[in-house]
Amino acid sequence: MAVAVTDAVSDVGAARRVSAWHFVRLKLRVLGNNFRGQGWRVGLFVLGAFVGLWFAAFGFFLFAAPGLAGNDQYATLLAALGGGLVVLGWFLLPLIFFGVDETLDPARFALLPLPRRTLVTGLFAAALVSVPAVAVLLAATGLVFTAGVFGGWPAALTQAVGVLAGLLLCVAAARAVTSAFATMLRSRRVRDLAAVLLAGAAALIAPVQLAAAAALQDADWDRLAAVAAVVGWTPFGAPWTIGIEVAQGRVWAAPVKLMITAFTVVALLLWWSRSLESAMIGTASSGRTSTRSPATGTAVTQLFPRLLGWLPRGRFGALVAREARYWWRDARRRANLITLAVVGLFVPVMLNLGSAGLTGGGGATESSSPVLVTLSMVFVGVLAATTLANQFGFDGSAYAAHVVVGVPGAVELRARIAAFSLYLLPLVLLISGVLALLVLGQPGWIGLTAGSLLATFGAGLAVNTLLSVLGAFSLPETSNPFAMNSGAGVARSLLAILSMLASAVAVIPMVAAAALLGDVWLWLALPVGAAYGLGAALLGAYLAGDVLDRRQPELLATITPRR
Amino acid sequence: MEDWLALADYGLRMTAEHPALALRGLVKRFDAKMAVAGVDLTVPAGSFYGLLGPNGAGKTTTLSMAVGLLRPDAGGAWVLGHDVWADPVRAKQLLGVMPDGVRLFDRLSGAELLAYHGLLRGMDPAVVNQRAAELLDVLALADAGRTLVVDYSAGMKKKIGLACALLHGPRLLVLDEPFEAVDPVSAALIRDILTRYVTGGGTVVFSSHVMEVVERLCSHVAILADGAIKRVGTLDEVRGEQTLEQVFVTVVGGRTATGEELAWLSR
Repeated sequence: MAVAVTDAVSDVGAARRVSAWHFVRLKLRVLGNNFRGQGWRVGLFVLGAFVGLWFAAFGFFLFAAPGLAGNDQYATLLAALGGGLVVLGWFLLPLIFFGVDETLDPARFALLPLPRRTLVTGLFAAALVSVPAVAVLLAATGLVFTAGVFGGWPAALTQAVGVLAGLLLCVAAARAVTSAFATMLRSRRVRDLAAVLLAGAAALIAPVQLAAAAALQDADWDRLAAVAAVVGWTPFGAPWTIGIEVAQGRVWAAPVKLMITAFTVVALLLWWSRSLESAMIGTASSGRTSTRSPATGTAVTQLFPRLLGWLPRGRFGALVAREARYWWRDARRRANLITLAVVGLFVPVMLNLGSAGLTGGGGATESSSPVLVTLSMVFVGVLAATTLANQFGFDGSAYAAHVVVGVPGAVELRARIAAFSLYLLPLVLLISGVLALLVLGQPGWIGLTAGSLLATFGAGLAVNTLLSVLGAFSLPETSNPFAMNSGAGVARSLLAILSMLASAVAVIPMVAAAALLGDVWLWLALPVGAAYGLGAALLGAYLAGDVLDRRQPELLATITPRR
Repeated sequence: MEDWLALADYGLRMTAEHPALALRGLVKRFDAKMAVAGVDLTVPAGSFYGLLGPNGAGKTTTLSMAVGLLRPDAGGAWVLGHDVWADPVRAKQLLGVMPDGVRLFDRLSGAELLAYHGLLRGMDPAVVNQRAAELLDVLALADAGRTLVVDYSAGMKKKIGLACALLHGPRLLVLDEPFEAVDPVSAALIRDILTRYVTGGGTVVFSSHVMEVVERLCSHVAILADGAIKRVGTLDEVRGEQTLEQVFVTVVGGRTATGEELAWLSR
């Protein structure tokens, strides 16, 4: 009997080899089945495709501009820097904002007798079938056009090959990076290392931004072209500049640049395939070392973190304590928190330093106006609050416990806001301090920065609390904190845009006050901003709590992942 | 004699007025599929009620609507006379629920989870502490220490779920598949606790597709198939002369392997 079974297996193996095409078809089928009977999903997908097309068109004309203008002077510059930005985006954006589409969860393939190589190429091919990938491909045809204008068919053809290689590079980068970070964030030992790495990655943006700003300021196109030429020889720019090289007569450069790209893609895929294995086993155990150390203290004392011992021992206190524990213990939430900290610190610094560079003034102090500072704080506050836009999605079906108990909506939302603020308020104060002291060199502006941040944060919380009740969506139950359901990426972006718009509108008074009131505002900003933020958050929790009371079961249904 | 009859009649009317759980005309439709097509059920107080049905019969959907987790398209549910959907606060106080296929807040340890549930229910912290310690001890979960619930085995997860449902001393327990994926030792423990709970005046409703457990524990049985109640009554009324399994297979209908198909399995 055993023999027969082995025979059967080898029969199957001989009869059909699993190719990447199977994975692509599987993904398309899963996508199609997800749409079945779910009008809103189709709507989201169409919207996503539309936005993708819009970006593709924009990118196409940008890349095709040298060809259309008939001037090849800046062709390399556009191709290398534009393409480099695209690759950088594929590296960083999945980590910071979008996550990766995990329609095909690697863990589902753990039991199938597939060689790792087949699995990686298959999942890779399936990952290529996505709106962003198609958008990049369409945009990059602009490069093919440009190459064709200057170099004729040979250049266009080489560039076409280069574009395809570049696309492979982008997708491989996104997969490898998210998978590796997911693995790191799961394991306790290197979790903090992952945070530092992420910070480093985000910090990379700063010098790029500064260089760009400085270059724009001097309008020194030739120097920029020199930078572009260098970037063109790195994996970031190599695939996008092949056609131009051929057109400009450096045919020998084409195979070398192609080699650079191919080498990078292979390296990324190898990296991915290493972390993939842990992702596949990861669902069986969450990777946390189980501590069998005996519990000390009573059940209630154990629930409350030591720092939060002062919380009331009631409904509100329990909710805050649990949320506070979850923001750290749940990998998905932790990933959000870490990226938020990194982006929240770097963007305002960049923005204010950059503006100093842009306007050409000597020091940052002269060029940074209260309005600009307020605006950059608005950005951070809104971004921070947006983290809560799908706060119930983090809980998934565990939220059923609250429905069974019948937790009053307003209490629940106030507690969630409070727990998140426990992490965010120190960060907010740190950011405003850093900005006022180190970047602007104006200690007196701490009130302004902190006040603007608090006001925006509060207003953003109010908006996002309401959104989290009305626009929640389910997150996949995988071990990858960056994984998204297909279509959820669009939903998430929509939510984020909505919440950013609404929160931005809500803080118009703060910006107006900064513009109109002059120096008095430097003193008033902190108390007014804090009061404004607190009031807005409480009002939001009250209003959204009412909605939540009426639609608890519906909310539970939307955040429970379909299995 | 007359007095006794009157008393019995009175008692019957009381239970008729306030059954532990009453479901009336529950309907739920998912897209094109009718999951539950008009379920009526009266669970008398003090009964041990088994809800039997094959996979996909609508057991979970029915129980979810009964406890307020899923809004029915039509019909209603009453817990000891309190409307689950109109007066949820009172109904939910009397109710302990262990859903199936639903995650717990599993990034807490067992003790933390119990404390969380207790405080959410507005219980006194001292009572929570005392009951949590006792429950962990009885359910043999005290050894787990600070292990997070996510790292518990399937049986341990069931047990901590049951502890959460019992913590506030509910009058009615609704359990979805309490014996699924539970080893015999834990199952015996859970059976024991539930029997004692019913003896003490509580009411248990649970779903299962394991005949043996139902036959051993239940005073009343309902068989659910295709979203409708097919048989209902006391255990003896439902099974009559046959075994429960025979009745179940007859009611549900199914095919038995003839031996022709799947021949390649026995080569």
